[in-house]
Amino acid sequence: MRLVTHNMLQCHVKGCNSNNFPLQLSDVEIEIQETDFNPKFLRNMLSKLEWNALVKTALEINITTLPNVLPNDLDEEFLKMLHRVLLETHIKQGQMICPNCNHTYPIKDGIPNMLLSETET
Amino acid sequence: MTKYFIQFAQSHEEFRLPELESLAQIENVKISYNKEEYKNNCPFLIIEIDNEEEATRLVKRAILIKNIYELWGVGKIYEDVHTQVKAKPERWPAYDYKSFKFIVSAFGSTCSSDYQIRIIDSFAYLGFKGDIDLKNPEVTFGVLEDYGLDSVPPLEPFMIYFGRLIASGNRDLIQTFNLKKRKYIGNTSMDAELSLIMANQALAVPGKLIYDPFVGTGSFLFTCAQFGSFTMGSDIDGRQIRGQTDRSVKSNVEQYHLQGKVLDTLVFDICHHPWRDNLWFDAIVTDPPYGVRAGAKTLGRKNPTKRPLTIDGTHEGKDYYPPTKPYEMSEVLSDLLEFAARFLVLGGRLVYWLPTLVDEYSSSDLPEHSSMRLVSNSEQNFGQWSRRLVTMEKFKDNIIGERTNIHNVRGVDNLSSVYKKNDVNSNEAETTNTKEKKKPGHYLFREKYFSSKSDKKQIWTRNKDQNRDDDTDNTT
Repeated sequence: MRLVTHNMLQCHVKGCNSNNFPLQLSDVEIEIQETDFNPKFLRNMLSKLEWNALVKTALEINITTLPNVLPNDLDEEFLKMLHRVLLETHIKQGQMICPNCNHTYPIKDGIPNMLLSETET
Repeated sequence: MTKYFIQFAQSHEEFRLPELESLAQIENVKISYNKEEYKNNCPFLIIEIDNEEEATRLVKRAILIKNIYELWGVGKIYEDVHTQVKAKPERWPAYDYKSFKFIVSAFGSTCSSDYQIRIIDSFAYLGFKGDIDLKNPEVTFGVLEDYGLDSVPPLEPFMIYFGRLIASGNRDLIQTFNLKKRKYIGNTSMDAELSLIMANQALAVPGKLIYDPFVGTGSFLFTCAQFGSFTMGSDIDGRQIRGQTDRSVKSNVEQYHLQGKVLDTLVFDICHHPWRDNLWFDAIVTDPPYGVRAGAKTLGRKNPTKRPLTIDGTHEGKDYYPPTKPYEMSEVLSDLLEFAARFLVLGGRLVYWLPTLVDEYSSSDLPEHSSMRLVSNSEQNFGQWSRRLVTMEKFKDNIIGERTNIHNVRGVDNLSSVYKKNDVNSNEAETTNTKEKKKPGHYLFREKYFSSKSDKKQIWTRNKDQNRDDDTDNTT
């Protein structure tokens, strides 16, 4: 799972409606896979992502390249750095934990399992 | 505007014009043609486009277009064609010294090589001095005759088209994505041609984000990504996504070299999804489960009175699979439309398959939503049942609370048990219900599909009666 996807997800346990995002990463195994740079897509996504959550999540896996505030001027150098964080950083194994209800979503072979048990839906 | 003619592939005819319109939108090309002239049983269509560059762009990713030609002459007899060609001699000199070739082909018939040579010779007045090059000509001219689709072709063609080849579509991609060559497929994998058409219907272009909520083995992730879009998918069944060690959605992504475009696949039930509220998706492309080959499931228990073995609610077990219950087709569609209305960007498209029983279908069966409008609806017929590729566009903001209009089928969910329990001879309860409200042709599709196989006569007789009732209603 890439960090761009992580930023789109929240805990969806029944009744867990606040402080349920971003899911906290834990025991993760990271892999970098290089891919083609597409500034158009990055700009498309940037307007929708939660920047603060992205910075927080990146720090959890020791990525310190993101500024605390999204700059106004998105030059190519910045977008390339962002490309590395959002699209080339994969979480291969690990867990995502809801900061509110502590529900744990496992990630196995890069595929997050977001299924809930029947008492949680 | 210049006149061109399109040579369509004679396959999936109902999908050809919707694809053409989608391509015009994708490439921002203004096209004009006479809808009355278009016929499903004819592969040719005359179309006006500003210039050659735009005509080339229009067809470059087309799946159902073979070629586009600049129209030099058209008519029922060759004399008319030659008259038109001769009327514009100013067009000829540009090709005087180019290597060239002529194609003569007959749709719905065959022509001998003697005949082909005679036809080519009849154009000798063009006076081209370049070399004839059958392999890599600089310019190609086509003489295309239409004999129609009758089993015995007429002696003379209905129409003759002559023109200069401008560009070809992208039908080679059908081979690239051929399921026979795909490493990992399941029994619901969508065939390559239709998956590619769907990517065109979704207006998949570089930089967009496209999502399949019933991803299965991933067919649409690949074709949409092929056209440059970024794709994501989810499925309630993680086993489909994971496959086996070396055969999985991931191995397919690698096979097609789309690692940078297919972003992620996730495991969850679209009824209980974890997406944050936002207009994330530029398109949703999907083949919802309707139970013919893979029974549709949603989270829950078939029998709600049964209790889980452990009450603690968490699933510590690593490979926990929550219980599932059958998911009625009309409910799947209602959920899908509401999801699309909420998560699509404005102008974003929903492209999905609607299965339906041919005898029961009426166009009012299509689910509606106040934020979504119908773009196209193309049928692929399998005899008694068919599936329809429905393309919708989100044309206005979604207001939470406005719900899908699926003709209140949700209110009569107990019909499902009626269908199963009653044998057709004593179906009074059901008849009463159907009289009150007409059900869409896809309602209880799975039950009907299977019962029509085992119990064909009875169910089809009943349907005919029902149709007769409808007819009387209309005429009185």
